[in-house]
Amino acid sequence: MNADGSALVTAPTMVAADRRETRRYLLLLLPALLTLGTFFVYPLFGILLRSVYKNGYTLESYRQIVRTSVYLTVIALTFRTAAVVTLIALLLGYPLAYVLATVRPRLARVLVVIVVLPFLTSIIVRTYAWMVLLGRNGVVNQYLVALGLTQAPLPLLYNQAGVVVGMTYVLLPFMVLTLASVMRGIDPALVRAAHSLGASRWQAFRRVFLPLSAPGIAGGTLLVFILSLGFFITPALMGGPSDVMIAMLIEREVEFTLNWSFASALGVILLALTLIGFAVYYRLMRLERLFEGLG
Amino acid sequence: MSQTRREQMVLARSTGVSRRHLLAGTAAALATASMPIVWPRRASAAGKVVLRTIGGAYEEAVVKAIVEPFTKATGIEVVKVPATLGKLLAMFESGNIELDVVDAGELGMISLSQKGALEKINYKGWKLANPDDMDPFIRRDDMVGDIYFSSVLGYNTQAFPTGKQPRSWAEFWDLKKFVGPRMLADLASGNIDLEFALLADGVPKDKLYPLDIERGFKSLDRVRPAIRKFWDTGALSAQMLADKEVVLGSIWNGRLQAVADKGAPLAIEWNEASLQSQYWGVLKGAKNAENAHRFIDFACQPEPQANLAKLIPYGPTNRQAFKSIPADVAARLPSSPEHKARAFLQNGKWWADNRAKVSERWSQWLLQKG
Repeated sequence: MNADGSALVTAPTMVAADRRETRRYLLLLLPALLTLGTFFVYPLFGILLRSVYKNGYTLESYRQIVRTSVYLTVIALTFRTAAVVTLIALLLGYPLAYVLATVRPRLARVLVVIVVLPFLTSIIVRTYAWMVLLGRNGVVNQYLVALGLTQAPLPLLYNQAGVVVGMTYVLLPFMVLTLASVMRGIDPALVRAAHSLGASRWQAFRRVFLPLSAPGIAGGTLLVFILSLGFFITPALMGGPSDVMIAMLIEREVEFTLNWSFASALGVILLALTLIGFAVYYRLMRLERLFEGLG
Repeated sequence: MSQTRREQMVLARSTGVSRRHLLAGTAAALATASMPIVWPRRASAAGKVVLRTIGGAYEEAVVKAIVEPFTKATGIEVVKVPATLGKLLAMFESGNIELDVVDAGELGMISLSQKGALEKINYKGWKLANPDDMDPFIRRDDMVGDIYFSSVLGYNTQAFPTGKQPRSWAEFWDLKKFVGPRMLADLASGNIDLEFALLADGVPKDKLYPLDIERGFKSLDRVRPAIRKFWDTGALSAQMLADKEVVLGSIWNGRLQAVADKGAPLAIEWNEASLQSQYWGVLKGAKNAENAHRFIDFACQPEPQANLAKLIPYGPTNRQAFKSIPADVAARLPSSPEHKARAFLQNGKWWADNRAKVSERWSQWLLQKG
């Protein structure tokens, strides 16, 4: 996110005072940059190195990835699941964020606590809770059968649907908080102005509020999508046999086959594809607006 | 640019919840979630020993039967740390060994051994247990067996009253005669149930190894329509059977017993069980190596082993231990003479040598059909 830092540096109308301010900003950035460099960038290079090193430099691990279709298929499945989860989180999160951003402050505070509350419990506990709810003899199915809505229990768990429900639930707060922070910055007077100029509620929303909240949509979907790509516990517990996600394969290479070079190579491929996806998305959504909003 | 920001800040203040509040709240929540598991504690005068644990009902039993009596007898504090196999190896590779005693299944131990991460077991220095009493199969150079457990055919007694349950893996594979959802093990649990698949396909118990991987997967094809889930942890397998998500499945005998003892209508078919061994070992470079060897010596005595078997039905490796185990407890152990005769001994070495091949084939197989 140092994009706003560099944007400041390259601003054409820079005077001496501005330059001093810039230097101060860079100084403020320094701790974060050092931390990221030490604990993120440096280990990342380690992984890159490990992916081409196995008793000597070799591309064997990458050859193994393309030798069969398994790994690329799993990566494709992972991206698909992430996209579905992101879309559902957006559809569920947008109205919630809207309420959060527009209700009375005291109520908003309560709502924020409710949204953040799930973070206080371990993800494994929450996933097991979903399994109790969605199982063949779980609470949801018992109600459905008792109410006569279905004859036999529905397959809600151990399939793609279970994975999507579980992941959406875990990731929804990230979407809501990102959206709400942007929505709170939208001046309500603008919507009122639209009304006074004859716009219907829907028109005012679609032509004024929605475009202004676009940076939130861009940021929220990006955050949820990228977090989805690395998901591991929820699909492992709630998915069916063929709901394999790439993080599960990487974990298996680390913990079971102990082929860390191959695990690293899978990680590098995933990172590369994610970065490509990010670049495309950046172009499409003109994400620089997101950083402007934050700057 | 700065104009927008100022507006945002004003608005944030007016609504009472600033982004900073949100972030602070989230950060606090994350900090709680990632709190370090090892809390620094004052070491006692006798020093300490750091033990790798694997959780569940087994860990509770180990604490009661071995850890607490050991600390009482020696004054040595035992610090329990959960760690995965990957983490143990990472510790070894980086030279930053935070653990002394490892307790792990045969496959994991062979992996550590192959990387040269294990110290030799100091049998000659044992003062409490007699090395000659240890079962020769588990008395190895750099590891010594602590328990026997079995992967068994578990069934729900409401779906199949005892006497009408599948009596073999071939019957487990018979989807018409025994109707109902099933589970088998995922590779993440340590191994997939290739042995059971081969037994179901007619391979005799004593001719299993080396496993015919392709034949095993062909056999798995036949049972797959009835498989609801491949379980990756003992906890998941127990929950699926207890919740009646499945009515039949492979499961570790101790996990099934723990829920059955709490009243779940579950039982074990002991025929063709996969008998497996688990081991103590000392990591090379352990900071408290001497205490680690003392701990293992203590743990291998008949008495603690018998006490462990009373708490959780995993079999002792010290042959003298059976003397102090009551008959009703012995009857539940996977290594009791009766159960042992009907089981086969899993070959951890084969799994260690073939895991890369099996892993890739397993992923392929999972994806090929929905």
